[in-house]
Amino acid sequence: MRQRHIFGEVFTLESIIAGVVFVVVVAVFVYALIGRRAGRQVTASQRAERPRLEAYYVGVLAAFSVFLVAWTAWQNHREHQTAAGPPVRVDVSSFQWCWSFNYPQAPDRRTVSGSCRGDDLPTLVVPTGRPVQLRLTSRDVIHSLWVPHLRYKMDAFPHHVNTFTLTLDKEGRWRGKCAEFCGERHRTMHFWIKAVSPDEYDRWLQDQPGGGQGAAV
Amino acid sequence: MTVTPPTAKAVTGGRPVPPSGWLGWVTSTDHKRIGVLTVGTSLVLLLAMGILALTMRAQLAQPEQQLVDTHTFNQLFTIHGSGMIYMVVTPFAIGMGVYLVPLQIGAPGIAMPRLTLLGYWLYALGAAVMLAGFATPLGAHADGWFSYPPMADSIHSPGAGSDLWIAGVFLATTGTIVMGWTVLWTVLRKRTHGMTMLRLPLFSWSMIATCLMVIGAFPALLAALGLLAVGRADPSIFDHNVWNIGYQHLFWFYGHPVVYVMFFPYLAAVAEVLAVFSGRRFFGYQGTVLSLLVFAALSMSVWGHHMFATGQAANDYYSLTSIALLVPAGVEYFSMLGTIAGGRLRFAPPMLFALAFIPQFLIGGLTGIMVGTPVIDYHVTDSYFVVAHLHYVLFAGSAFGLFAAVYFWFPKVTGVMLGHRLGRLHFWLLVIGANLTFLPMFALGYLGMPRRVSTYAAFEGFGWLNLLSSIGAAFLAAGVILFAVNVLWTLRKRTLGRAEKAPDDPWGGHTLEWATSSPPPRLNFTPEHPVPPVTSFAPLLDLRQRQEVTAVDRSPS
Repeated sequence: MRQRHIFGEVFTLESIIAGVVFVVVVAVFVYALIGRRAGRQVTASQRAERPRLEAYYVGVLAAFSVFLVAWTAWQNHREHQTAAGPPVRVDVSSFQWCWSFNYPQAPDRRTVSGSCRGDDLPTLVVPTGRPVQLRLTSRDVIHSLWVPHLRYKMDAFPHHVNTFTLTLDKEGRWRGKCAEFCGERHRTMHFWIKAVSPDEYDRWLQDQPGGGQGAAV
Repeated sequence: MTVTPPTAKAVTGGRPVPPSGWLGWVTSTDHKRIGVLTVGTSLVLLLAMGILALTMRAQLAQPEQQLVDTHTFNQLFTIHGSGMIYMVVTPFAIGMGVYLVPLQIGAPGIAMPRLTLLGYWLYALGAAVMLAGFATPLGAHADGWFSYPPMADSIHSPGAGSDLWIAGVFLATTGTIVMGWTVLWTVLRKRTHGMTMLRLPLFSWSMIATCLMVIGAFPALLAALGLLAVGRADPSIFDHNVWNIGYQHLFWFYGHPVVYVMFFPYLAAVAEVLAVFSGRRFFGYQGTVLSLLVFAALSMSVWGHHMFATGQAANDYYSLTSIALLVPAGVEYFSMLGTIAGGRLRFAPPMLFALAFIPQFLIGGLTGIMVGTPVIDYHVTDSYFVVAHLHYVLFAGSAFGLFAAVYFWFPKVTGVMLGHRLGRLHFWLLVIGANLTFLPMFALGYLGMPRRVSTYAAFEGFGWLNLLSSIGAAFLAAGVILFAVNVLWTLRKRTLGRAEKAPDDPWGGHTLEWATSSPPPRLNFTPEHPVPPVTSFAPLLDLRQRQEVTAVDRSPS
């Protein structure tokens, strides 16, 4: 859930900053609307510029953007640090219009897929507490693997493999979606991601040799 | 000695008589007619694209609706997005430049008028070609306005609609580039005596920055479209990742500067309106000019922020350049707020739209910093959060600037005043509609609604937010209908001679276009309406202030 935590921190801070800026601008705006309307017999200022004030202001803006860039870049790198220990590897293949999850570390190199019609959604089973490396590609057009609960997505390109690592800290089941428009059934191209305890994961990986449909765990 | 009666040819000095009627319009080399054609065409297309959007909002109002099928829905969002960006907001901005820049700089015409007219023809032809896709058996193009391959190749998107989309967008963009060149050349080379670069009105400066981006970035779109056309002839080229990701780079190299092409002219129109209706010179002129140029330069380096989730872009770099944009944007806000905070505000319809631009565009800008942050963008890209962000920028921002400009310059262009009461009603409906439509979309994207879905399941909980958004769209529809009625009714009254005549300078304007008659004569300035002395970027304001000083000096004390 590293992605979710980091997203939460950055999104909260940027929302607060945005909120403060918005309030300040609206305050000046409302002052002008009420205090400077022609009905109040004000006279328009003749002052065409405030270069010194503006220079300080630009300095503040520049310092601020340096902070934002540096801090968020650091968070981005923190998000993509791979945890220690050998990862669980899952090869994800996307296609029009569903997903297939391949577990190369399973004795039978298990593949889980589905049709993404109705309730027939494939389930990506992963253990909690261990890094899970997803190797993401596509068989036809560009898709994008998005798990809103994890606050993360990555595009799946044909003839190219994108890799990223997830670590889930608690058990549960969440919905994943395709986020890149991919045609007629783009909107139903969903899957489940299910986090189970490492023991249960190992049992699942070992115990069902030859099982093509892993959706019913 | 016999006197031969004058013939038409003698009157025009031997040149052929220009045709009248509609033929006169579409063959005119008068920049004002070309400008009105461009702006008028894009306004008509705005109504058409709005109807597509309303159909989509109706379809999405409730979960699991089947008002239109998925294939139709995909055509709707594709043509709505393509139409609004390539054929409404961009050409309207350039069309304003074609009309206003020669007037603002005291020139009798535009540079290369025939080329400018060719630009308009290419644009109008391109729009017709793209829309012709609806008449083909498989319908119009249906892959979104950025149409990534391989989805847009001939295997995954068969049908002539996609070919027509490529051809139409190519033609329209070529036309825009041509017009961009002539406007830039005009402002650089045809300025009147005394009109130095730092006496150019802000709107003309914005057209310099805009046209530089048009010239620098738009050819990349032509290249991307060329790549797509080759790929439709031979889809096997997209078996190589380099062409898939290469298309995205080419496309977004165009696709981000175009956002500022759709922003600067409207921002500058807002700035001129704010200054005029604050009864004062625009505050911080030089800083704003500089910020426009910095903005335009940076705009060419930010394209990869559309590709954070591709795993194939240098995210830190693009985040750096994108977030750096807050500096020039902040300077522009400083100037706008400084102008109104020291002004004497009059709330005519143009001013209402210009004022609303300030907080509404700010929402688009602040969320722009968020989507320019990779950690946030991974979650919200390709979701309704981005849809909300871009509509705050382009609708709650630029379209409000567009309407401010229409209300502001309508008397100059037509010679009659646009109805004030309907204008105010239009304004309030649009404010309610824009915020009600687009604010819920931020929440929808955050909660996990992807963009470009034709419907959604009831259990996902998106229903009530979508309903709010669709209700907002109804307000927008009502507002835009009122606007159309207002314009058509005023023009009808003008034909009947019953409309309120516009004086040369109805608002107390600052720039040269307000010194000539409404509408301006064929060559813009005449001996009766000469170009006044250009003493600053607000020459008419200077003139009035000098007259006041003289009046005070002469009055007995």
